[in-house]
Amino acid sequence: MSRRLRRSGGVNGAAIVGLAFLVLALAARAPAAEPSDSHAAGRAVYTKWCAPCHDPGVIHPGTNALTVKYRGVKPGVLLEWKDLRPETVRYLVRHGISVMPQFRKTEISDADLDALAKFLSRNTPAH
Amino acid sequence: MKLPAGVSSADFASAIAEFERAVGKAWVFTSDEDVDLYRDAFSPFLHEPEELVASAALAPATTEEVQQIVRIANRFSIPLYPISTGKNLGYGGSAPAYSGSVVVDLKRMNRVIEVNEANAFALVEPGVSYFDLYRHIQERKLKVWIDCPDPGWGSVIGNALDRGGGYTTASYRNHFDSHCGMEIVLPNGELLRTGMGAIPNAKTWQQYKSGCGPWIDGIFSQSNFGIVTKMGFWLMPEPEAYLRGTVSLTRYGDLSAMVETLNYLENARITTGFPDIASPLNGYPPIGQVQLWNETGPPPMTEEHRKLLSSAKLGYSPELEAYGLKSGIPYWQLWLSFHGPAEVIEAQWQATQRHFAKFEHVKFSVVDRVKLPIDPSRAASYHEPELGVPSLRAFSIGARSPWNPTPSKGHMWFSPIVPRTGEAIIEANRVFSEAARELDMPLFRSFCMPACFWERSFIFILATPVAEDPAVNKRYREGFKKLIAIGGQQGWGEYRTAPVFQKSVMDVYSFNDHVLQRFHETLKDAIDPNGILSPGRYAIWPRHLREKQS
Repeated sequence: MSRRLRRSGGVNGAAIVGLAFLVLALAARAPAAEPSDSHAAGRAVYTKWCAPCHDPGVIHPGTNALTVKYRGVKPGVLLEWKDLRPETVRYLVRHGISVMPQFRKTEISDADLDALAKFLSRNTPAH
Repeated sequence: MKLPAGVSSADFASAIAEFERAVGKAWVFTSDEDVDLYRDAFSPFLHEPEELVASAALAPATTEEVQQIVRIANRFSIPLYPISTGKNLGYGGSAPAYSGSVVVDLKRMNRVIEVNEANAFALVEPGVSYFDLYRHIQERKLKVWIDCPDPGWGSVIGNALDRGGGYTTASYRNHFDSHCGMEIVLPNGELLRTGMGAIPNAKTWQQYKSGCGPWIDGIFSQSNFGIVTKMGFWLMPEPEAYLRGTVSLTRYGDLSAMVETLNYLENARITTGFPDIASPLNGYPPIGQVQLWNETGPPPMTEEHRKLLSSAKLGYSPELEAYGLKSGIPYWQLWLSFHGPAEVIEAQWQATQRHFAKFEHVKFSVVDRVKLPIDPSRAASYHEPELGVPSLRAFSIGARSPWNPTPSKGHMWFSPIVPRTGEAIIEANRVFSEAARELDMPLFRSFCMPACFWERSFIFILATPVAEDPAVNKRYREGFKKLIAIGGQQGWGEYRTAPVFQKSVMDVYSFNDHVLQRFHETLKDAIDPNGILSPGRYAIWPRHLREKQS
């Protein structure tokens, strides 16, 4: 597996984690381990709804897709983006893109979406 | 605001006001922006006015609220379309079968009511996804497995009601068959419980399936006779160990006997996991390897091999067979898996090898021996659902990757059921490849292998892409319908389909002048005289819309 991962873009070995287990581990850990995390709510939304497709590693179809789409101009891993604007997150979650469907308000509420947008744009310079 | 056909704006406004009283204003969606969220993300009507769309959506939190919704809909003749988690992508998504219907979004009804470890069953609500149920079980360290489909974010109830399948043992991977007991809101608002659940204070609702008298559960699947609000499922006790091995054969002519041997071994429960059937020489992977192929690319193929494949007919030429023998590439390869105590599954693997020893040049290989539960760091090297773990890696199908630089806008699943024989594999390839070529459809363009979701039949599951260009989608839709009819002429039928194709599929089920269709309509008229529930789902139309549709 590591050979395959290296060939397809230098993803580190930590990525080779069963995604469902990863989801569980993060879901269980996030609130307790990082009580002062100002992005805890957004991180939790990301963990539940985005991580299975967008966490690091080619086993995540969203990451694989972004890696190929941006070809080194941007990272394939969404968490590493430094120019993601909150309104872009809100738009893509509510409209979908490519084979990613839109998400309904019964899945990701407006409040959850705001928290997610803030979390994913945390590395973006003032906007 | 879009209105349901035949409903005045005044009546619709009154109905919406009552819906708001029933479920709360926050959970009634009427703005275009909110209602658009219920569009089918993989609609084959992309950019076309015929796209099936809702007029509004409601999100009840309880069975009582569902009952109120149904009663209000009857008063105002509002068509409703319940969805569970709305993730039925490729089969219609969250959009209604009849444009203008009000979607009843059951996602908020997401309680895992019970997981019983001692007798291995669960009782859940429709908003519970496979991920949810899996987390619930893992957090409590319960020793039971779920059987999940690909991808795993759909509803446990919704997938079963649409008769989906999974990847563990035969009796669990047929998701409707593995259910035990339902609670249903009938179209008049009454609450019905099936099986033993019909006994007040029932003690075995999730332990004995049929109760006494007619067993009616089946009519609530792929239908529009009620809204299922609870459903029980049998779960597999967590196995102690897992073994996966391959059986590789070298002759094209081995196919029929290979399938017969596989059938015996599975029907006798000697091989207990998902049997996965591949043709390495034809470049066709087992389902369990599809995600890996999409993620890291298919195995390399020589130019000579590629040329031989392009000139092979129905996956065969003597030269291709000779090339396979020379290069050590199997014509056919079975990936078989076994769950259970280590000593039992070793014995099952031994018996499996004994049954296949009759084939000349047969080769056996153990891919994995795993002590369960699996170390989480190793799960990703497997097709997770075969270990009862939900995943979204199936989205590698269609998603952009180095091997798919131009992703589609989604796909429609062409999925005919054919006999579980080697002859049927070849005949289906002959019939569908000839038809697809003539119809210019992107299916069966190379030799295809079926899947073994169901115990005694094969199913081909092939994605027809949704394109940006409506003209292409129109050609695909028409071609898809013709393929359905051509399959029907051979005695084959789809197991499940998106609303746009449901009439074409049900037209194939025409024995004795469509008596099955007429029986469905008789039931519809009796159970739902106002025709408020999911009009058109699986081509069952209420009386007042029937003539218009035909």
